[in-house]
Amino acid sequence: MQVKDIMQSNVRSVKKGTTLSQLLISFKDFHSFPIVPVVDQEMVLLGTVHICSFFEIFQPHQDLLMRNPLSMISREPTDIFNVDIEEGMGFLIIMADIMDTKIVKIEQSADIRKAFDLMQLHQKTAIPVVDDQKKLVGIISIFDIVMKIFHEKGLI
Amino acid sequence: MNIILGVGIILVFGLLSGKLAEKVKTPAITAYLLLGIVFGPFMLGFISEDMLKVSGTISNIALSLIAFSIGQNFSGKIFRQVGKQVMWISILEAVGAWLITLIGLLFFKVPAYMALIFGAIAAASAPAAIIMVVREYKARGQFVDILMGVVALDDAWGLIIFSLSLAVAKAMYLDLSSSLGSMLMGAVIEIAGSFLVGGVLGIILSRIGLFLKNQTDLLIWTIGVIFVATGIALHFHFSVLLTSMFLAAVVVNLNNESFKFFDILNHIDWPIYLIFFVLAGASLEIDLLSKIGVIGIVYMIFRIVGKFLGTYLGAHIAKSDDDVKKYLSLGLLPQAGVALGMALIAKEQFPQAGNIIFTTVAATTVIYEIIGPFFVKLALHKTNQIHN
Repeated sequence: MQVKDIMQSNVRSVKKGTTLSQLLISFKDFHSFPIVPVVDQEMVLLGTVHICSFFEIFQPHQDLLMRNPLSMISREPTDIFNVDIEEGMGFLIIMADIMDTKIVKIEQSADIRKAFDLMQLHQKTAIPVVDDQKKLVGIISIFDIVMKIFHEKGLI
Repeated sequence: MNIILGVGIILVFGLLSGKLAEKVKTPAITAYLLLGIVFGPFMLGFISEDMLKVSGTISNIALSLIAFSIGQNFSGKIFRQVGKQVMWISILEAVGAWLITLIGLLFFKVPAYMALIFGAIAAASAPAAIIMVVREYKARGQFVDILMGVVALDDAWGLIIFSLSLAVAKAMYLDLSSSLGSMLMGAVIEIAGSFLVGGVLGIILSRIGLFLKNQTDLLIWTIGVIFVATGIALHFHFSVLLTSMFLAAVVVNLNNESFKFFDILNHIDWPIYLIFFVLAGASLEIDLLSKIGVIGIVYMIFRIVGKFLGTYLGAHIAKSDDDVKKYLSLGLLPQAGVALGMALIAKEQFPQAGNIIFTTVAATTVIYEIIGPFFVKLALHKTNQIHN
């Protein structure tokens, strides 16, 4: 079975220039923050914003510095309760500043087993799905795969 | 004390000293180094000679992991991401520190091979101390962005400069009687060999990595290949640093999901670095401290001059603001982990001069770690990056 058969096609994506405030307002009614694809005008996938992307706001340049292991002062988690964020930052920070460019994606024609393996390897619960021109066409999650299996087994 | 007990004690007290360092706003690496001095043979003597004997192996493992991580900077995507200013400044401030320190030490009649090594070590800076100041003052702005880019990249150039300098210095040291041509040939073989081993294993790491389906396999495979690369480099007397860096550079340019090989190491690398820096502190020969006077002072001053001139030139070429030209080098003075790693390699390669190099770098590291943050703060103040 192919990814496109079970993926979610109705995906909310953002642009590189979308502001942090716009993003937060757009997803404030979700019960948890999903993986949000960042795309260009042609819907080509540029990156993703996920819950960990917000840490870039608390500790800027983290991605750049992680490439030098000795740049870590310690491996303590970010103390998000003790940071001062100014009001205007909601409009100043855009997706290009915080998006994760380490893209894990899958082609829509790939087998769902491959999608599952990829999510296991990268410890992701969902990944963007692209066509052969790297354009975003959907998102597939482990839940989609599990639902498919349950459906086949007659649970639902 | 047996080695396992020793390592256990280092890890436990290393963790405590790291926490303590955080309280007094000092990078953990400085704390590990000081812990090593306290535990070492010159003070408490917890770290036995037996343990210091295995420190060479631990150094090679730690340095190959550090070089592998830093090597991931060498991708077209990263170069585009950091931009022209960061590229020019990071290259020229590293080369500037190397060249000016080299010339300065030669002027003071330091042997050429030693001056080459000191020059190369001068290129390194310490990201942790710089980040600590930037975070403490919540500094933001374009100057900070450029500083962070330069800090992230300059150790990569530093490791290349060091590997090349070491190859030439070794050839000079070992073949004093031979011609310049044969000296250079020795260096070329060392560098070419490192590229060959790193390149071939990089292709293998990347290609077979495509078939791995879980994190455990990925971790085992990545460490396995890094160890094989390091082991082969050691066997043939190639450069461990260059081999690991090139291994990473090949992987990062071949594989779209190359970040998985680097991210997976975050689970295991920190305890290795901790042991590495504590043992580095323990192998410091404190009685040599009194003998480093002139070399230490010349090294410190000329490194600062070199960083300033290199930054100025890089900023001039990249058409940066005057603030960047004048003050960015002030933010690049702290020095710690990478410099110590380089000095440890020098210690291993040159039995007598190596001790002087290591002791000098260890002592100047402590001084730079104390005065460096002050200059970072000064640079941030001068460029109005501190808003509160």
